[in-house]
Amino acid sequence: MTRSFILSAGVGDPALAEPATSAQILTAAEAAGVDLLLLGRHDSLPFDPQVIAAWAAPRVSRLGVVPLVSTRIAHPFHVARALSAIDFLSGGLLGWAPVAQGGSAAQLADMVRATRALWDGWDEDCLIIDKEAGRYLDTTKVRPSNYVGTHYSVRGPVNAMRPKQGHPLLVCDAASPFAVPGIDVVIAAEGQAFPAAARRLLRVEPDIDVAAMAARFEAGEIDGLHVDLAHPLAELGRIGESLSALTRGRAAEGTLRERLGLPLTLRNVYEEIA
Amino acid sequence: MPRPIHLWAFLQGIGHYPSGWRHPGADPAGVFTMDYYARVGRLVEKGRFDAIVFGDQLQSRGVHGRAPEHLAMPTLDPMALLSAIASVTQHVGLVNTLSTTYWSPEGLAERFATMDRISGGRAGWNIVTTAHPDTAPNFGDDELPEKSLRYKMAAQTVAQAQAVWRERNAELGTSPQARPVFVQAGQSADGRDFAASIAEAIFCSAPTMEDGIAFRNDMRARVAAAGRDPDAVKIMPGLSFILADTEAAAIAKDQAILDLADEKLCIEYLSESLVCDLTQFDVNGPIPVEAILAQTILPKADIARVLEKPAAIGLSLGKFAAGYVRTPRGHNVFRGTASQLANMMIQWIEAGACDGFTLQPAYMPGELEIFVEEVVPILQAAGALRTEYPGSTLRETMGLPRWPADMAA
Repeated sequence: MTRSFILSAGVGDPALAEPATSAQILTAAEAAGVDLLLLGRHDSLPFDPQVIAAWAAPRVSRLGVVPLVSTRIAHPFHVARALSAIDFLSGGLLGWAPVAQGGSAAQLADMVRATRALWDGWDEDCLIIDKEAGRYLDTTKVRPSNYVGTHYSVRGPVNAMRPKQGHPLLVCDAASPFAVPGIDVVIAAEGQAFPAAARRLLRVEPDIDVAAMAARFEAGEIDGLHVDLAHPLAELGRIGESLSALTRGRAAEGTLRERLGLPLTLRNVYEEIA
Repeated sequence: MPRPIHLWAFLQGIGHYPSGWRHPGADPAGVFTMDYYARVGRLVEKGRFDAIVFGDQLQSRGVHGRAPEHLAMPTLDPMALLSAIASVTQHVGLVNTLSTTYWSPEGLAERFATMDRISGGRAGWNIVTTAHPDTAPNFGDDELPEKSLRYKMAAQTVAQAQAVWRERNAELGTSPQARPVFVQAGQSADGRDFAASIAEAIFCSAPTMEDGIAFRNDMRARVAAAGRDPDAVKIMPGLSFILADTEAAAIAKDQAILDLADEKLCIEYLSESLVCDLTQFDVNGPIPVEAILAQTILPKADIARVLEKPAAIGLSLGKFAAGYVRTPRGHNVFRGTASQLANMMIQWIEAGACDGFTLQPAYMPGELEIFVEEVVPILQAAGALRTEYPGSTLRETMGLPRWPADMAA
């Protein structure tokens, strides 16, 4: 299977909470071939990224929407519910980037595990919805998680469905690292260690030496690039153009996991524990 | 000119009737798709409703870990649904329910600050304290805080959220409404006093016009006693409805939906309502009052009151459960024609029973479509319902003061 180049961008501008600006940025990001648009930065959340992600859900057709989720204000039960809904509403184009703002990496990892446990209370084929027979749910496929972690305990299951993708794509920023099995994508700067993950993105400035990056991608050193945007509209236009050789011809259909070739490897937390 | 009628759409799950999901006009799979919410959002805006309201519950589904098999999923996360609907509509308000017991003041304040901005000033907050005991274990607790303590916490949380909004508005520029419109739904004395102190709109149950008049008079007196203007608080009782071309046809339609509630569904619904697993008992036997009171984690005195009459007249468990499904949550249920419903609504408004209605369609989206197509034009022709939105924010739509006094710097 050919490896697909991954283009990621991040916006931490408060103007993302203004509908007119946000709409323009989403359109520009799709046009530029961005795969992952991170909402917020690990050191700056001037808005609630989950609200922006939900608002963006009906407006994206291939762009992966990736809200930052901070332990500063988030509880796993709220996170599990909101992300499940946004994944359905976006047609399976959701990722999430947990960050610890002032908290510990251990707490962050615990939040990720608890959230996954809540999702895993529902099997993906648990819904029957048979009007004729009056059966809505296969109850043998629903169970409490009874998760007990170091910072969070949750009984569960989440009082909403498992996300459309099973779990939204899990993105880890090396600036706010956490260690759990099954991280899908990591972002790290030059010289920074990449935590274990399926795909590795190098954090670069908007002005990129494209040839050098293409060579590193071909060599399998990196799987793509991440750019923090300071002036989103202008920079997205430039990046889209300069990287077109790397982003051309990639899959445009399907869920984010399908498009990026990142199937859910952790079926549920019970397997993780085993 | 009649007093204007305010309309809210309470769009929980797949409709107000527990058996509504089985109706041919219901779309139970749709509640997992954006297409469904885009359709519903535009429909409500076409009907010139003030707002869409989603309730919320934070307990896991089922009684003590036993998930129901015949009841539809309650809902996805309301914040996500309302923010997504904001994206595909321009005017309709978006009232989101968040718990003051299980949200941090900072977390909920940031959530609403963003919702108000991204929606162009359409956010409302239905302030709840969370009453279901099964919620606690989802947040690492054994038990809910006691009720009066929950209301004390609510007052504190609201005050802390107001402080965060003032700070955010100073840093980032004031959001279109400065803060969300405050909505409250408590019916107890604690709930009513809390509502009188802060609410700008109140959702309640009023099964009859007399109940509505009594509630509205009581609330207006409490609001005035709290030093606030009673006209700046809208009373919005729930109203479920079944519409057809004749009254007899509506009654038959209602019966047909209730007939979709088979024995298993009724027992599961009663189990959920009483927080007690009743699936093991003989449906033809008596109501197992002792066992219910021993099992339930709801306040036992409240449950004993609910069971007292049906047990005294010797109702079987099955019959009791079937009756319980008929009157979900004690709201007004109307059966009749579109013009009868429009007349009833105007009559309630004229009598001072309410300022508007929180509509709870029996099943979704079919019954809501009938309301918008048939009842809305009658209300508009009578001058009782707006034909255009007066502005863009929920405050303007609701006819509330332009700026909340508590947000002055």
